[in-house]
Amino acid sequence: MRADVRGILKGAALIALLAAAAGTATNARLIGRLLRGEFRQSFTTPAEYPRIRFITVGEAEDLFAAGEAAFLDSRPRSEFGAGHVPGARNLPLEEHRRGVKPEAVGSPLERILVVYCEGGDCQASVALARLLHDAGFQDIRVLTGGWTEWRAAGLPELKSDD
Amino acid sequence: MTRQRALLLLFRILVGGVFIYSGVVKILDPLAFAQQVRNYRTVGQDLAFLVAVYLPWLEALAGAFLVAGVFKKASAALISLMLLGFIVLVAVTMVRGIDVDCGCFGALSRRAGWPLLLEDAVLLGMALAVLLARDKTAPGSAEEA
Repeated sequence: MRADVRGILKGAALIALLAAAAGTATNARLIGRLLRGEFRQSFTTPAEYPRIRFITVGEAEDLFAAGEAAFLDSRPRSEFGAGHVPGARNLPLEEHRRGVKPEAVGSPLERILVVYCEGGDCQASVALARLLHDAGFQDIRVLTGGWTEWRAAGLPELKSDD
Repeated sequence: MTRQRALLLLFRILVGGVFIYSGVVKILDPLAFAQQVRNYRTVGQDLAFLVAVYLPWLEALAGAFLVAGVFKKASAALISLMLLGFIVLVAVTMVRGIDVDCGCFGALSRRAGWPLLLEDAVLLGMALAVLLARDKTAPGSAEEA
């Protein structure tokens, strides 16, 4: 029995070593990029998603005030209903996992889009931004602080289900 | 006895096949998987990156060994550990109320929820059956490890 366990441990260690070697070898370039400081903010990189940028609340506020961008809320409908950026359209990520049709966004492809989710550590906005990128939108900006920072900054808010 | 062996072989092919598939899908797009790991909001950027670089290979290799019948107990043990980890992660994520794509099979992933937990539990049951089965192979056989 003890020999059994030892054999299992040895085999498992060998498989783990093989995986470590293969993972390192096939991802050497990516690991190099990580060591050079990439991927700090997101795994959505300028190389793969050149039309996605990350912006602060201040920049989002400017775009909002100038009416230059369409705001897209990636949170679930219930959270959107409880409060959102005035004029924002709700595109819940869970309803668009297979992709976003440009008609669902209701804006021309060249319009500036500002995408946000709850804030803090939320990732739905980035995921939606990638889908929008794939759909062909030209200028997508992810609001990094999300809804939490928008509210904390005392910016306009609209409640209701639209 | 033969029926039991046939059943164990079936388990190995099913569990191993699922792990090979899920590993290969992620190996092909490590950054997408890294983002999915990040979506669970459990680990930071660096750890998510490391998971995305190494876990898929561990899945695929353990799956391949399990199907091939080489180091089958060791691979069944590794797979059981991974499944236990997935089950705990999904359960914790559900309790925290985070709506997340499970990230299991690339584009074919669905939400982390009860069906996924059940599926992982069934796979775990099969992997444990392989791990705990009393081996009837002759002593010193190359198959046992």
